[in-house]
Amino acid sequence: MTKDSSVRNKVLPTDLLSKSQAELEAVPDDELVTSYESMRDQKAPEDETYPNIRRLYGTPLEREKDRREVRARADACDAEMQEWYEKARNQPCTWWLKNHLVAKHALKSCLACGVCTAQCPAAQYYPEYNPRIIVDAVLSENEERLAELLKSDTLWYCGQCGSCKPKCSRENNLMGLISSLRFLAQLKGYHLHSVRGRQQYAMRHLCGGNLWNRACTLYFRNVDAANHPDFGPRYAKYHAEADTQMVRLGASPDRPGQFGGRKLPPQTLAEFRACVAWGGTLALWNQLERCAAEDAKKNGVSIDEYHDRVHREG
Amino acid sequence: MAKPVCIIGGGVAGMQVALVLSSLGTPSVVVEKSAALGGRVPRLSKTFPFFNDDGFNDGKEFTDTLERDLRAASLAEVRLNTIVTGMRGDFPNFTIELSDSTSVAAGAVVVATGFTPFDPASLEEYGYGVYPNVITATELEWMLNPRGPTGGKLVRRSDGKEAQRLAIVFCVGSRNKRIGAPFCSRICCSYSTKQASTVMERNSKALVACFYMDVRTYDRGFEEMYSLAQERGVRYIRGRVSMCRQLPDGSISVRAENTLLNRPFTGEFDLVSLSTGMRPCEDVNQLARTLGISCGPDGFFLCREWFRHPHDATRDGIFLAGCATGMKPIRNCMIDGAAVAARVTASLREAQA
Amino acid sequence: MPTATIPSETIKEIPKNDFFLTPSCILGAVNPGTEVLISRIYDLLGLRWKTAGDRAESKCTCCTGFSSHGDLITIESTLLVAARLWSIAAEMGLENITTACVTSFAIHTECLEMYKHEPGLDERVDRWLQQACGRRLQFPKHVVHASDIVYDNRDALAQKLRYRLVDHRTGRPLRIVDHVGCHYAKVFPEKAIGGAESCDVLAGLVRAWGGETVDYPERRHCCGMGFRQCAIRPNRGYTMACVLKKLESMAPWKPDAILTNCPGCNLFLDKEQWAILQMTGTEYNIPTLSYSELTGLLMGWDPYAVVGIQAHTVPVEPLLDKLGIPYDKSKEWLTKEPVEVM
Repeated sequence: MTKDSSVRNKVLPTDLLSKSQAELEAVPDDELVTSYESMRDQKAPEDETYPNIRRLYGTPLEREKDRREVRARADACDAEMQEWYEKARNQPCTWWLKNHLVAKHALKSCLACGVCTAQCPAAQYYPEYNPRIIVDAVLSENEERLAELLKSDTLWYCGQCGSCKPKCSRENNLMGLISSLRFLAQLKGYHLHSVRGRQQYAMRHLCGGNLWNRACTLYFRNVDAANHPDFGPRYAKYHAEADTQMVRLGASPDRPGQFGGRKLPPQTLAEFRACVAWGGTLALWNQLERCAAEDAKKNGVSIDEYHDRVHREG
Repeated sequence: MAKPVCIIGGGVAGMQVALVLSSLGTPSVVVEKSAALGGRVPRLSKTFPFFNDDGFNDGKEFTDTLERDLRAASLAEVRLNTIVTGMRGDFPNFTIELSDSTSVAAGAVVVATGFTPFDPASLEEYGYGVYPNVITATELEWMLNPRGPTGGKLVRRSDGKEAQRLAIVFCVGSRNKRIGAPFCSRICCSYSTKQASTVMERNSKALVACFYMDVRTYDRGFEEMYSLAQERGVRYIRGRVSMCRQLPDGSISVRAENTLLNRPFTGEFDLVSLSTGMRPCEDVNQLARTLGISCGPDGFFLCREWFRHPHDATRDGIFLAGCATGMKPIRNCMIDGAAVAARVTASLREAQA
Repeated sequence: MPTATIPSETIKEIPKNDFFLTPSCILGAVNPGTEVLISRIYDLLGLRWKTAGDRAESKCTCCTGFSSHGDLITIESTLLVAARLWSIAAEMGLENITTACVTSFAIHTECLEMYKHEPGLDERVDRWLQQACGRRLQFPKHVVHASDIVYDNRDALAQKLRYRLVDHRTGRPLRIVDHVGCHYAKVFPEKAIGGAESCDVLAGLVRAWGGETVDYPERRHCCGMGFRQCAIRPNRGYTMACVLKKLESMAPWKPDAILTNCPGCNLFLDKEQWAILQMTGTEYNIPTLSYSELTGLLMGWDPYAVVGIQAHTVPVEPLLDKLGIPYDKSKEWLTKEPVEVM
């Protein structure tokens, strides 16, 4: 990823924003990354803001750049956990349940009393969702049954609220167990078999893109009126003025500062990325990319069309 | 004259120990902290499993009979409103100090101090103590008793109207690792079934739902009581109740999963009775210290040997009878009482030989 | 309305000063006033706090909680990110973490708990942290949520408030629904004031400031934010259904407002009321405020320039009318005006 000024002279960074997915795929890694970064780091002359961040987030350019960067970073990284997760893909589900840091502590024994399902908001909304039965599948240690669970939509209905957790009379951590199973489903590519599972590709770029590029899971512009028509016209008006309102209230949209929307200094982003990488997360993101590429090809669409599709499916 | 056996607790187990000891020629002193004998049995509206066991219509008829026999037994002495304040000496020469400033020179001690029902106020999800129409099984029992506050009628405590819809919640305070009570209290399924069956017998139009995890009606005659309850129309829903909430009119909304149908269930009831499990008697720790005996991890007094000496406490000359070692049916308290009396008599004879 | 008493076992230890405040990803995004207000309240109380940097150089990243519950990040990465934040706090000599977000609170707490259950984890994380960014693993002394601090100081704040939670026209105490974030009270109930069922962190504020709490059947029901359920549009029906369920359940008590301590709850309980109006025709119109917004309003701070009520979908002005707090509606959408805070 060297800065090659001759490359810079050929193509203006901002040109990349208007390129199609196919065109972006033809741009070499280092040019992609360097152009993105130079746009991102451009400061507005009149104030401290970084006005290009809003043009870059959630774009095909950012996604393509992330794809390449994360792959290269994972190749270069010899994090113990990354290797662990890469190997875990090929182990049986039962192995995962005994060895994954969260899964191994999540479940001790089950009375099948149903107090978890009784309290679960998702069980009341989705008729086929039943956390007690998920626990039964896990305790069965039956590879086929587990694979079926990981391929199903039902695994993804949990809202991770934890309403089950204070109720369980055997002190199990159902919320953690389901989270762990979802992770395994993605590692094994089983998430491709369900509508809800495929959505993880959308999540990868929404949250993953924000994490990788802004060290913050949600970027304020993500919660926009177009994506949230359910919030109504008042919110739309507020969001249109978000930048000025945020400054008025003391936040820091796209500029250095302490509160919401802040642009972090390069050192912080670098440390954050290192923490993410050393924890093995890149193994998951790369796997999600591989699976998505395969699924897109099978469906005869570009990766970008696939990304949009899984955002809207269901 | 042989030294008497000091029996701490005048419930049915303690009374039975005294009666059998008397028949064996051994004197005893029954020390009871409250103003009456009989323990928790006099308030029972019915006994189980036959509802009219031995011809007694309610608990008080039974304990009155026991008490009459006890008073007639020349070798048994009763001290009411008295507690044990201290103990000196060793088997077979104990000196028991009592709160009436007297002391008893006893050859042996029997602990028959019973149990305390679990207080469900600490399980806030059920709303006990906050919502008037959430009551305990003990309160339900007294309400069903014609001697009780409503003459035996089932009423809503919020407005006094007749209660047609009753929910009975099993395992309140038991089988719950989270609250440090992993054990089963053994007779709640049975007493709950008795209560449910009684309500249906008196009012065939009532709606009675028992929310259970298991139905542990394990002893002779108990399973038959369970079938009868179902024949009378009691509904059994398999699912642990996760919460009770009050609705605007004072009724209670009960939530559980119907695990046999794999569906969450929410129902509205006039009254919710919490079938509470057991805890040791209130002064268990103090008594254990005074007597120098140990308790088990469930808080109840520990026996020396599980199979061969189940009534021996962990110190020579001290014995355990009845619910002091865990909740059990009346019949088993009576059996315990007889067994302990035999064991005490044999031990004393051996010690004096 | 009955409010349960707090069992003494679940009263938690709340630190008194010297806080490392971790900002939230979503709170600062959608209701920015809410988060900045926390710092203003700390200042009002004369507390010492920092957020890992001054204006020029913030080192504070998000805790990755949303990503963790969105199943996109490994637990080890989360442990490392949390450890990095702890190391920054330690660098500044601060051992008490206060989080702006309840999911962060649960994440930090979960990380701490994990070290207790997994022998050797601390060594591994320390090693990885050094390899990743040259920092060392140092455990904070306390991890609490910012609402714990406000709760702890509720009586001191009561002395300072200019307004009370009463309808100033009639003297009637306002009926406030307390909606505690699931990740505050349910994930580690022993670390919540009052436990999971009779959680007092918001109810205590209502009582101390003159209002009345509301006990209704779905009081402890989740708002439905659900991480991936709200983030991906096709899933959002779940979120809306949960909000509707709560609104229907609380409606008979005619609450004057909903009080929250979680960014997600604050967002969805407020904003979905518009969609619910469109879909069911019922206008619940219950203003939804965070504890920091409520504090700011009762202090008499500017509703638009400081508290930021304009970010809410359900108009808050009717509540201000009840409280007797004046406001200038024309200032709602103004920007770049000087602000008098106190």
